[in-house]
Amino acid sequence: MRLKARTLEGLYAFLLLFPFLFSLGVFFLYAFLRAVFFSFTEYNLFDPPRWVGLANYLRLLQEPLFLTALKHTLAYSLVVTSLQTFFALLLAVALNQPLKGITFFRTVYYLPSVISTAAASLLLLWLFQRTGLVNQGLSLLLSHLGQLGGFAGLFLAAQALQVAWERRKGAAVSFWDPALAALSLLVAFLGAWALGASGLLPPREVRVEIPWLPTQASFLGIPYPLWAIILMNTYTTIPTFMVLFLAGLKGIPKTLYEAAALDGATPWTMFTRITVPLLRPVLFLVITMGLIGTLQLFDQVLFVGGSGGAPLESTITLAYYVYGNVFPSGAAPRVGLASAAALVLAGLTLLIVLLQRRFGVGERGWS
Amino acid sequence: MEAVRRRWARVAWAYGLLLAFGVFFVGPFLMGFLASLKTDPLEWPFTLRFAQVSPKNWAAAWRLGREGSGDPWLGGMRPGRAVSLEVAYFSPEVKEPHLLAQIPRRKPGAGMGAVFETPYAADHVRLEGPTLVERRPAQLGEVRGEVFRYRLRLVYPGEGPFLERVPLDLEAPRGVVLVGATLDPIRFERRGRVASWDNVVPGLAGYLFHNYVRAFRETRSLETGESLFLRWTLNSFFLSFIKVLTTLVFASMAGYALARMRFPGRQALFLFMLFTMMVPGQVTFISNYLVLRDGIFGLSRLFGVDTLLNTYTGLVLSGLVGASAVFIMKQFFESIPREVEEAALIDGATPLQTLFRIVLPMSTPALGALAILTFQGTWNEFFWPFVVLTSPREIYTLPIGLLSFRNAYGQVGDWGLILAGGFFSMIPVLILFAVFQRYFVEGVSVGAVKE
Repeated sequence: MRLKARTLEGLYAFLLLFPFLFSLGVFFLYAFLRAVFFSFTEYNLFDPPRWVGLANYLRLLQEPLFLTALKHTLAYSLVVTSLQTFFALLLAVALNQPLKGITFFRTVYYLPSVISTAAASLLLLWLFQRTGLVNQGLSLLLSHLGQLGGFAGLFLAAQALQVAWERRKGAAVSFWDPALAALSLLVAFLGAWALGASGLLPPREVRVEIPWLPTQASFLGIPYPLWAIILMNTYTTIPTFMVLFLAGLKGIPKTLYEAAALDGATPWTMFTRITVPLLRPVLFLVITMGLIGTLQLFDQVLFVGGSGGAPLESTITLAYYVYGNVFPSGAAPRVGLASAAALVLAGLTLLIVLLQRRFGVGERGWS
Repeated sequence: MEAVRRRWARVAWAYGLLLAFGVFFVGPFLMGFLASLKTDPLEWPFTLRFAQVSPKNWAAAWRLGREGSGDPWLGGMRPGRAVSLEVAYFSPEVKEPHLLAQIPRRKPGAGMGAVFETPYAADHVRLEGPTLVERRPAQLGEVRGEVFRYRLRLVYPGEGPFLERVPLDLEAPRGVVLVGATLDPIRFERRGRVASWDNVVPGLAGYLFHNYVRAFRETRSLETGESLFLRWTLNSFFLSFIKVLTTLVFASMAGYALARMRFPGRQALFLFMLFTMMVPGQVTFISNYLVLRDGIFGLSRLFGVDTLLNTYTGLVLSGLVGASAVFIMKQFFESIPREVEEAALIDGATPLQTLFRIVLPMSTPALGALAILTFQGTWNEFFWPFVVLTSPREIYTLPIGLLSFRNAYGQVGDWGLILAGGFFSMIPVLILFAVFQRYFVEGVSVGAVKE
């Protein structure tokens, strides 16, 4: 009787799971096994696959385009993941204060990450055109460099004066005292404006016209178009991860910080000794999600390339390499090679996640 | 006292930072949106004061649209109607300048829009004028001279087709400067001597959202002539709704089984789901493409369908429910106390009845969150639909449509149209986000915390 109830439960479970199992079985398990099989064959989508053993994997190592794609993928993934994790954490710590209306700001920050990669890519293309907003912004910045320098100098001078004055009066103020800094900021702002208006520091004539996209030039070994994608993607993912960090920070008891402050801990010590260790689970999550997401870069490559865009050699990633070999324009599909490359990508993902989990910021802590 | 001052200063800094970051994160989107209204979004220097944001032009566009066709929003011109507009020119000489006005025979745009023969306004609309209505002495900068004000009348007599747009070119002699117009021209050619209007009867929306209206009007199917952009939008809505439906039903079923039932291989299935989430789509898409091409092992032939490529059936069947959706539902079900269901089970209800009658009605928050996240995911999805839907262009979803948009107009540099397409595609998700932002923000953590 008992056994029968068990069997019945199992049957019901199978019934409930059936659509999911169908999806998983046909469109994942079968597909995955077939990809492994294809990677050992030569196959062009039409004629029956021909077994070639490890030839595809060996050939990949000699394909310059594949090696470029591999390099790009790794560089992109590492740069974007570190940038977005770092800045998201920084932002979250800066914003983790009991302020009124913080929900509104969080919503606003989150906005860039709800839109599609397609729309974001179009925006990217527009921003990084030769006369686009990025070049215009850089021009503006460079032409007002003198004024900006004046601003920084004035700020530091005003702050130093104020702090010296307060200390002479016997008050123990740190150099970055927020109340004094606010006043210094105002002084510096007015001063810099006056410098500009009076013509003492005239704006220089600068016109930055970096061809971000249609170029093979590279900076630090990463081509310009890829840098454009890196900047854009960091920019759209920072808010998402910042929200995650904020949720994590909320869970850290305030008493820990108060106790540390009583013991005379500096903010930096509190950050490294309290915040980061207690945020480890979230950090792990953020880094894993970042790595998995960035390793699969495809859409942006397609959008940034295309007519009048970036050359393929400057943007190609593993995901694009796989697609390009299955559906090449004007050539026979090389499914075997593509499958091998796809499995390399999958292996890379699993490896990085495992490594990250073993040696990186895991739940168990730094090792 | 000192401490209070310091705390207030700290709060002020925090708000300042918040604001600065806000500008940083939303600024480019706002700028991009403004640029999508411009005639040339890549102008240097980038200005925030352009013709499309001037209320004077809005009023004029509204009036001209109403006079031209009776539709103050989208404008156009119907037979039997007439509109008039005024322009003012400054001339350094006292002699009246010779002004050349004409309605040019111009195609509406490059790319996809150029292949259709639309009626030319030049064949139907008669231009009366320019007639001088006023002249008075004036000064422009250092130069003394006179301002000449002209009136132009555009008359559409008799019978004829409805005209979506009536372009106009005005050519002035060298040294004569346009200083005012009822409706500001959208570009100047030949060193500013030719002032050009793409449409003098735009209507308010047709003027302010010029590029958006073009996106719908100029991308049309070669076979049927219907608006492709509209088609893509509808396709995206259709697909998103279907996928929300399948995901909700099947994810709750699977999630319930995983959360509440014992069956052999439960643990293995769980681990396998984790694995599926780490494998990139590029590994599985080759086989999936072949499976759809052959109609899921030939099964679709039983229904008289040879291949599931380029069909929405194929797209839906290949993505019935994702592992992360099942995770969300499983987690939620585990948070519900068991007692509720046990009562029903003792009363002799089957697990299916318990799920659909008792558990699901209690799960509206989770279902709502899942629905929104699924909608957003499907609306934004690119790779798999891009592989499955290749031809004809009528079956594209919006993101794929945007790629063909980009390829059709990127080369000719029609960035206004491209940006307009991009921003239009964001609207549904932005609305959803504005209304249900809590679900989005929480959904990230729910969907991501896999253990």
